[in-house]
Amino acid sequence: MIDALLQDLRYAVRMVRNNPGFSLIVAMTLALGIGANTAIFTLLDQILLRSLPVRDPQQLVQLQFVGSDSGRTSSRGGSPGDYFSYPMYRDLRDRSTVFNGVLATYATQVGVQWHNQPDLATAELVSGNYFETLGVHPAMGRLFVQSDDVVQQAKPVAVLSFNYWQRRFGGDPGILNQTVVINAHPFTVIGIAPKNFHSIVVEDAPDVFATMMMKAEITPGWNDLDNRRSRWLNIFARLKPGVSRNQGEAEINNLWHSIRTDELKDMKVHSATFREKFVEKSRVNLLDGARGFSPLRDVLRTPLLIVMGMVGLVMLIACANVAGLLSVRAVGRMKEISVRYALGARRSRILQQLLIEGLLLGLAGGAVGVMLSPYISALLVQRMASGSPNNLPFSVSPDLRILAFSFVLSLVVSILFSLAPAFHFWRPDLTPALKQQTTTAAGGTMRFRRASVGIQIGLSLLLLFGAGLFARTLYNLRTLDAGFATDHLLTFGIDPKLAGYQPEQIPALYQRLLTTLGALPGVRMAAATNDPLLANNNESTNVTVSGYNAKEDEDMNVEWSIVTPSFFSTLEIPLVAGRGIGEQDGPDAAKVVVINESMARHFFGDPQRAIGQSLGSGAGNGVKMALQIVGVVSDAKHETLRNEVPRTVFVPLLQSKEAGFIPLQFYARTSQAPESTATTIRAALQRIDSGLVPDTMRSMEAQIDDSLNTERMIALLAASFGVLAALLAAVGLYGVLAYSTAQRTREIGIRIALGASRTAVVRLVLSEVAMLVGLSIAVAVPLALSLSRLLRSQLFGVSNNDPWTLAAITGLVAAMALLAAWIPMRRAAGVDPMVALRYE
Amino acid sequence: MIQLRNVERSYKTGAGATYVLRRINLDIQAGDFVTVMGPSGAGKSTMLSILGMLDDGWAGEYHFLDHAVHKLDRKKRADLNRQYIGFVFQSYHLLDNLTVYENLDVPLSYRNVSRGQRASMVAEVLDRFQIVGKKDLYPSQLSGGQQQLVGVARAVVGNPKLILADEPTGNLHSSQAKEIMELFKKLNDQGTTIVQVTHSEANAAYGNRTIQLFDGWIANDPKNEPVPNTTASIG
Repeated sequence: MIDALLQDLRYAVRMVRNNPGFSLIVAMTLALGIGANTAIFTLLDQILLRSLPVRDPQQLVQLQFVGSDSGRTSSRGGSPGDYFSYPMYRDLRDRSTVFNGVLATYATQVGVQWHNQPDLATAELVSGNYFETLGVHPAMGRLFVQSDDVVQQAKPVAVLSFNYWQRRFGGDPGILNQTVVINAHPFTVIGIAPKNFHSIVVEDAPDVFATMMMKAEITPGWNDLDNRRSRWLNIFARLKPGVSRNQGEAEINNLWHSIRTDELKDMKVHSATFREKFVEKSRVNLLDGARGFSPLRDVLRTPLLIVMGMVGLVMLIACANVAGLLSVRAVGRMKEISVRYALGARRSRILQQLLIEGLLLGLAGGAVGVMLSPYISALLVQRMASGSPNNLPFSVSPDLRILAFSFVLSLVVSILFSLAPAFHFWRPDLTPALKQQTTTAAGGTMRFRRASVGIQIGLSLLLLFGAGLFARTLYNLRTLDAGFATDHLLTFGIDPKLAGYQPEQIPALYQRLLTTLGALPGVRMAAATNDPLLANNNESTNVTVSGYNAKEDEDMNVEWSIVTPSFFSTLEIPLVAGRGIGEQDGPDAAKVVVINESMARHFFGDPQRAIGQSLGSGAGNGVKMALQIVGVVSDAKHETLRNEVPRTVFVPLLQSKEAGFIPLQFYARTSQAPESTATTIRAALQRIDSGLVPDTMRSMEAQIDDSLNTERMIALLAASFGVLAALLAAVGLYGVLAYSTAQRTREIGIRIALGASRTAVVRLVLSEVAMLVGLSIAVAVPLALSLSRLLRSQLFGVSNNDPWTLAAITGLVAAMALLAAWIPMRRAAGVDPMVALRYE
Repeated sequence: MIQLRNVERSYKTGAGATYVLRRINLDIQAGDFVTVMGPSGAGKSTMLSILGMLDDGWAGEYHFLDHAVHKLDRKKRADLNRQYIGFVFQSYHLLDNLTVYENLDVPLSYRNVSRGQRASMVAEVLDRFQIVGKKDLYPSQLSGGQQQLVGVARAVVGNPKLILADEPTGNLHSSQAKEIMELFKKLNDQGTTIVQVTHSEANAAYGNRTIQLFDGWIANDPKNEPVPNTTASIG
């Protein structure tokens, strides 16, 4: 058996070596398919499937609550129930009995100073038992323990991530026990996290870890460690061995109801319905935590699955293409296989030989594909991470799992395409084959090749239709009126707290920054907000509106944007009624707000009627209606281009209680290309304070482009795969037509000799094309319409069964088929009857 | 060794069937050297394919040694082929990608002969046919005569009881043809039964019996009465 395998392997190697051109074409076709699949799977595995590199990840659960709540949520994505307050965490950690550790985490940005060099870094604020509960061991020094995290502001210690230690400190072991300045506070570095561990939040790669008790230093101006109604933490726990998730949930919900009952006592005003939703109907779910927390996972799940589906189709096309090629070669090998049968070969042995030959080609293609895949993955990661791939902790190099995936994929496709020649050789007619009278597989081969080409045409139509829908989505989003002028606009973030500014200094600094910016050459106007546009940001709160009787369950949540004077004129958001926010709206002036048109129409029916009305922040009877509406501006897209415009309240910065605590996003309206003013602005910031580091300075157009990364990635991939598929199908179609036209030379010669015109001959070939392409399209169109429903959630401004796109793509496929048929048609029309008949 | 009784072979055509062999009755004894002759299309190669169990689509009775071939399934017929029969083809049909050694090794590997035993059997045949020096050459590096020598060597490497040769010298120069026929004669003298198809009277002279086929019928067989000539096709 082994001997026979080795013998066939030796022959297979020789076959490959003796047919280098053919082998190369097959291997490269497969390499494209396998490479693309490996690349997409590399990302899909890391984002959707892979467990955290921690001890017994299957024991980890993520806590998520359902039910009403009041207060503020600082969310970074996912469900609002993913976020808990610190007092809630403390209760759950100290009073539960089913867990071996309950940990909390929060991600933020900090300013890190080392040898007087400031730098913005990502930080993860974690509970003292974070590493211990996860079972993570240090690369150097030590990691946090619970005793590091007991008293607020008592132990300023930090753990560095392995990558940050390498990048910023050159991997110097001497950094241990040294002091680094984080947000102007000294922290002692006690250890380095292991290389393979990034965070329990999958897409985070924090540079620095600090303990919860240091929150006041890490998030200056915002502590909330004692605020039960401020929810900002994600909580994970490790189930005790032998405790199932259901058992854990049963226990934790008893505790949860007790916590909620206690919390309700502290709330002054609540209705019976609220109580029911807050306590009785509220519960905690224990979600599978093995793969960590990942808001990105929810966002990318559908796009990744779509892309995986598309590369799957490309693989099928490549497979059909190779099967077609092998079936052509099968004709040439008929004699060889017939001789083998005549010499006593069993069918199983012939099949084994063909499979080994196929596997050899498949594995060669797979190996090249695996080598290609990191480049494709890197391109995708770059697209996903807005051009700064270091921010995403995804490896693009295939590991053992990925290699196993590629190996299995190569194996499966090899078996599939090897069946094509095996099909021809299953029951060959040996007598004529050995007499060399005929290529006995010709009829079957042609049928098989036609089927293979038909499948390729159909699949390429599917891919091209998808590409068409995604391209239209991208176009619709790119040309969408955002409600403000997106050109000649430069934007960047500034957080003075990270440079050590105190709250009382910050409003004046902001004022100075705006004045300086406005006076720079090339800058026409400047303004800022805490709630940046088209940056996936939201700052929402409940409001009470004078004269408006809200129903008990009505959603009174609105976007609450704090803005500087000239915000609307800088962004060019048109005023609909009243006035905008100006310099006169200082801390001592009457409290005013501007609202957007959606809000005005919802609460007042008409923008004009909103002017002079008042509103207050919060819900319930005790809310002060202290804010007077002085203006209404037209709607502008806020969170993303896709999302509906939220009802929005704009509050003057200087009248906001938070003016000294919040970081701002600055906007400069420029008179020239915005990027060209970036250097001038950086220099101006340096002159004001070299410690002020602007965060992500770029044009608004670039920001919009980045916000459309996923859409662009899908459209680009779908278009690339579609074009590749169409090319493969066109080459296959050309092959079939060229072959069948050559076979019909005698028939065509006779027809011409009998008086058929050249047009009639062309029609003969055309009818074959029409039959093949028509049948493929007829099968593919309903399939495309049915499958396109899966794309619906990713489309914008175009229906998933858009007839124009479908018609255009069908036309494109038909045109491609005509192009492929052009040379065989010309050849058929040029047949010389005398030559053809003499030849035969 | 071989008994054919009323063996017929036909192919389906649009309207009915076209017969290529009609009511063939034939007895071949062990040690015979039989020559089958006849014009093109007479059914010679088809008869050889049936004798060699490469063709399944015939009707009638075929006894080979103690086996009623007509009652056996395809697999069992293939087993008989492997065990008892060697083929020699007009176009040699050596496997182009294999060396001389490997070409001789292939039929043995299909018979599940162990590697060591195969090596000694191939070595013995290489020696017997005096082609040891050519064992690492590919067919394209050999002359036609040398290729057919390897073809014969491949047919005998498994020690078959019956060799079926389909125009074995058809592509050879007369001196090479003579060499091959001498070889067949020698094999026959050593006890191997040979059935050859040929157009050459000279080659036929090496055998001890010549059968004439015409339009699918046996027109002349020294051991049997000739059958009257009949039309070969029926509607």
